Amino acid sequence: MRNGFKGMVVALGVVAMMAAGCAKEEVVKKDEPVVQQQTVKQQEPVKQVEPVKQEEPKQEAPKQEEGGAAKASAAVALETVYFDFDKSDLRKDSRDVLSKNAEALLKQVADAKIQIAGHCDERGSDEYNLALGERRAKSVAKYLTTLGVKADRISTISYGKEKPAVQGSDEAAWSKNRRAEFVIVK
Amino acid sequence: MSFLQRIFLVCLLVLFVQHSSEAANYIEVTAAGNRLLKLAVVPPQPMGATIRPELANETAEVHSFDLTMSGLFAAERRDAAPLLHGLSLTPIDFVPWLSAGYDLLIRGEYELRGQELTLEFRLYDVVAKKLLTSKRFLGREKDLRRYAHSFSDEVLRALTGEKGSFTSKILYVSNQTGNKELYLMDWDGFNSRQLTSNHSINISPDISPDGREVIFTSYKRGNPDLYKRALSSNLEVPVSSRSGLNITGAWSPNGTRIALSLSKDGNTEIYTVAKDGSSPSRLTVSHAANVSPAWTPDGSKIAFVSDRLGKPQIFIMDASGGNVRRLITSGSYNVNPAWSPKGDKLAFARSVGGFQIFVANADGSGETQLTFEGNNERPRWSPDGRLISFSSRRGGQEAIYVMRADGSGQTKVSRAKGNSQHPVWTPSGQ
Repeated sequence: MRNGFKGMVVALGVVAMMAAGCAKEEVVKKDEPVVQQQTVKQQEPVKQVEPVKQEEPKQEAPKQEEGGAAKASAAVALETVYFDFDKSDLRKDSRDVLSKNAEALLKQVADAKIQIAGHCDERGSDEYNLALGERRAKSVAKYLTTLGVKADRISTISYGKEKPAVQGSDEAAWSKNRRAEFVIVK
Repeated sequence: MSFLQRIFLVCLLVLFVQHSSEAANYIEVTAAGNRLLKLAVVPPQPMGATIRPELANETAEVHSFDLTMSGLFAAERRDAAPLLHGLSLTPIDFVPWLSAGYDLLIRGEYELRGQELTLEFRLYDVVAKKLLTSKRFLGREKDLRRYAHSFSDEVLRALTGEKGSFTSKILYVSNQTGNKELYLMDWDGFNSRQLTSNHSINISPDISPDGREVIFTSYKRGNPDLYKRALSSNLEVPVSSRSGLNITGAWSPNGTRIALSLSKDGNTEIYTVAKDGSSPSRLTVSHAANVSPAWTPDGSKIAFVSDRLGKPQIFIMDASGGNVRRLITSGSYNVNPAWSPKGDKLAFARSVGGFQIFVANADGSGETQLTFEGNNERPRWSPDGRLISFSSRRGGQEAIYVMRADGSGQTKVSRAKGNSQHPVWTPSGQ
């Protein structure tokens, strides 16, 4: 049962990421507080055609066994979620993953406390990236609370670009390093 | 000041030969235009029974490197016959130096008895055929490089009226052990020693204006908290352990407050706290991230990085938090603000693909790009404002570099394995 569930999450995640690759989304304007993320779930986000920039991710789905290995305990699979460059808003694939994570937190490990660790790729300034990683972790925390996970079960930490998941200086590595990981702390 | 430094001061005998009134304007008189002064550095000659040419050569290399990096000299080591009766009793024959085109000459002598070192340097004006300044040191052999740097400072003081920064050290972060720890090295990369060894992540050091205490962010207890420690002690005292980020700490110029970024109230905002972390005062109010506060040298204003307009940009505000405005108005991604010691220039890093170091006037105008090769971040001015240190990755590992304030003379100074970053100069004379 457990393995079956995990496999399903992985499969869904990959499908969602591939879908996200087709339609780049700009969900939350930069000046809006993260609080407004909760409206995102009900309405289709406005799709924007963005100019192709060098820094844009190629939207390749990170391989789960490399970049997305769940850091949670063996009791439950809490999937890592990924972000676009210099963004802390949640992509559709990330919201899908978080829905699964929230379900696991509500049903499988209903008494567990988790820490969400926000990370960045190597390109930004390291000091600014600490703030960006913090915003990513809080963005994820906020979304989980809108899905019913009690806020007092969630803590956040930012590592900026201090703990990359994979080494490398290309988009394949960067896309796996812009992430929020989950650790069950109790 | 550490205990050892106090001992050193007690033991140290320094003799100044002051020529201050004429010295202050000397360089203007001697060097019309921008011509570099040609300086010959003769290794000091032995006075006692112990002959250690490698030590003499080392001081000559220190002087050549320091003074060439100052941007005022073309300094080079030159060998010369020893003065028969020593510096004090033998007149210098300036004619060969003059005919070889030199403006200035450094000569010296040393005596070693066991570990006890006596060292004297003299700076001569070859053209006017006179002694400009001299300095005599009494200490230990291990202090040799420091004495040599100290005389480099004195050469600049004698010729310009402002001493150099060559006795300053550079605080930096290295991962050579596998963890990011703080280190301290001479400005030229020698004598590096490890400060922290808590096997965690230690970043963003800053040093108090009196040169005694370092603040830095460490994950040693899990959260990125701000700590303080004396250079002379291993005791790391928490300054701010508030929920969330406690990062980018910066001492105020008068040493009474620390500006830092905290995320305890949601966004990452800039606060000041007392140096023990108490009495927080919030300066920024925005929906964005605000990091990297940099006090102007007079303490009246703080430059900082905020992404309130989208990408990270450099803003400035009063030290009380009011009158926020954007300072650097061009470029899409500007970070790492650092004021020159006189407050007339701001160095920063801009992302132009990779990061490069720029300098602008205090009002943000007249910006100039100083680096073009590799990825360059974290500029910091030397205490005399003549040099800028920064971290650079030019293929291979990230290392600490130093350049002149105009971008010339970019030189890798750190020697550590692994990546070295976040360089910060200690105040002069420490």
